[in-house]
Amino acid sequence: MRIRIIKPGMFSTIQDEGRGNYLSQAVPVSGAMDTLASRVANMAVGNPKDAAVIEFTFADAGFITETDVIMSYSGDGAIFFAGDQEIKTDRAVCLPSGTEVRLRANPCGIRTYLAISGGFNVPQVMGSRSTYQAVGLGGFEGRALQSGDVLNSNINLTPIAKNIADSLIGNTIKSASWSIARHLFLPEDRMTIRIVPAHEFTWFTGSSILNFLSHEYVLSQQSNRMGYRLEGPKIEHAVTKELLSTAVTPGTIQVTNDGSLILLMADCQTTGGYPRIAQVAAVDMPLCGQLKPGDAVNFKEISRHEAETLYLEHEAELHLLAVAIKSKYL
Amino acid sequence: MRTGNNSGLKVYYLSERAVTIEFGQEISEVMLTQITAFNATVNNHPFPGFITTVPAYGTISVFYDPVMVITTESMHGVDCFEKVANYLQSLLKPISHHQNQTPVNLITIPTTYGGNFGPDLQEVAKINKLTVEEVIHLHSGATYKVYMIGFVPGFAYLGGMSELIESPRKATPRKAVPIGSVGIAGKQTGIYPIASPGGWQLIGKTPLILFDANRSQPSLLQAGDEVVFKPIDSHEFEFIANNRYADSHY
Repeated sequence: MRIRIIKPGMFSTIQDEGRGNYLSQAVPVSGAMDTLASRVANMAVGNPKDAAVIEFTFADAGFITETDVIMSYSGDGAIFFAGDQEIKTDRAVCLPSGTEVRLRANPCGIRTYLAISGGFNVPQVMGSRSTYQAVGLGGFEGRALQSGDVLNSNINLTPIAKNIADSLIGNTIKSASWSIARHLFLPEDRMTIRIVPAHEFTWFTGSSILNFLSHEYVLSQQSNRMGYRLEGPKIEHAVTKELLSTAVTPGTIQVTNDGSLILLMADCQTTGGYPRIAQVAAVDMPLCGQLKPGDAVNFKEISRHEAETLYLEHEAELHLLAVAIKSKYL
Repeated sequence: MRTGNNSGLKVYYLSERAVTIEFGQEISEVMLTQITAFNATVNNHPFPGFITTVPAYGTISVFYDPVMVITTESMHGVDCFEKVANYLQSLLKPISHHQNQTPVNLITIPTTYGGNFGPDLQEVAKINKLTVEEVIHLHSGATYKVYMIGFVPGFAYLGGMSELIESPRKATPRKAVPIGSVGIAGKQTGIYPIASPGGWQLIGKTPLILFDANRSQPSLLQAGDEVVFKPIDSHEFEFIANNRYADSHY
């Protein structure tokens, strides 16, 4: 299967579940910012969860299918249209060769993921197909997609992907009769982000911590795949200790010297020297991946044990879903 | 928050997928030796679900897959954090007896000093009231320790530079520092593994590739390595630059 980009949009890159094995060499993990949406898109076409997808940022992008393509898309940044026909989300869809797809803005979020049967076929670099644009690593030639880029799928399909494809392939746009209820994996309140106090939580004044846990913080324009700057009440340091650079990870919330907050995201550095006030619960990172400049969030404290339990429950539910899809097609 | 405390070492939560072991809060060679030895121990004795470690000045962080850890019955604890913390504590004790046995890699960085390769060499000499030759002699006469890799892929935080060549960062950072540049900032010296903006005083340049995604070990330097800079002239620079893929030593 093959598509050609006709309009790349603001920032579109190939991503997968990231490059986790080279952190000690200071290579960021990268990968999809909303890992739930990228997984749902892959599951809907029967791909393994780590197949490569396209991550679109906002809308204003488009592509054309150069063969019949079995695809699915998920996320909250855009709604796909073939002409005036809306393509349904979170499910497998056949787009016959020559279908022109345009992304229209979805105000709910910022990032949308396109999966095709077999996954996008770009070389694995250091164990991952994710793009890390800052050093031109991975993805499609190490860069964001441009008009005219032609992307092929891997020819080897999983047995499920093959059966899903066989059930839909044809000369018309055809959607699977089932979809994945992605919203059921997300909390109803998408603007409350659960956090676990980080190691330097007590380095800040009591009133600052109270502000952190009760005031809104707004995503600034200085936000990208590396991290978000959050605007709100400044956090005051209660101690003047310096932190020696140590490992940080996506979801870490750092406090800069002037008391501003930085939420580290997928392309963040592997080590940092700013004291850390909190770590976002992994299950809420997909919500963070959909935040756009101007969005206001609240932080809610949970324990590390709760965060871990939520994560394991979430993974167990996704596993059950994968088993259900498998049993439907095999 | 529960933290283990055997042997005076602390384990703390980093995320659902990682714990950090804190060895201390200062930069010291003794701690570097401990951290390097423990890093080797963990990597040689991985547990089910182990992914990787990130050694730093005073910490080692251990990354893992919680789904695998939680189902591993041989690891004890009520949750992944405890299971991993307990496992790491069990590895800590034996190493104190033979912590000096980890072999150290010594890596030579051929470097052309001055001229277009190191446009700030004269400035560093002037700041420190030295001759250019003395700066080169002091910089290439020391053996440096790699404390950690961070900041950008393959960037080594080196310790051990002579105080006599300390130099403040440039008032105006350069928009583009060439790949391989060797610089000084304050008490630190370092090598730019990728071209990037930067405010370091540039004293030389190496033809070696510090970071190459296609190598089995992409970062030339690893935490715990030792580094020496060897002065070479521009002809040798060109020779190595043109032959680096033919010579396995580099």
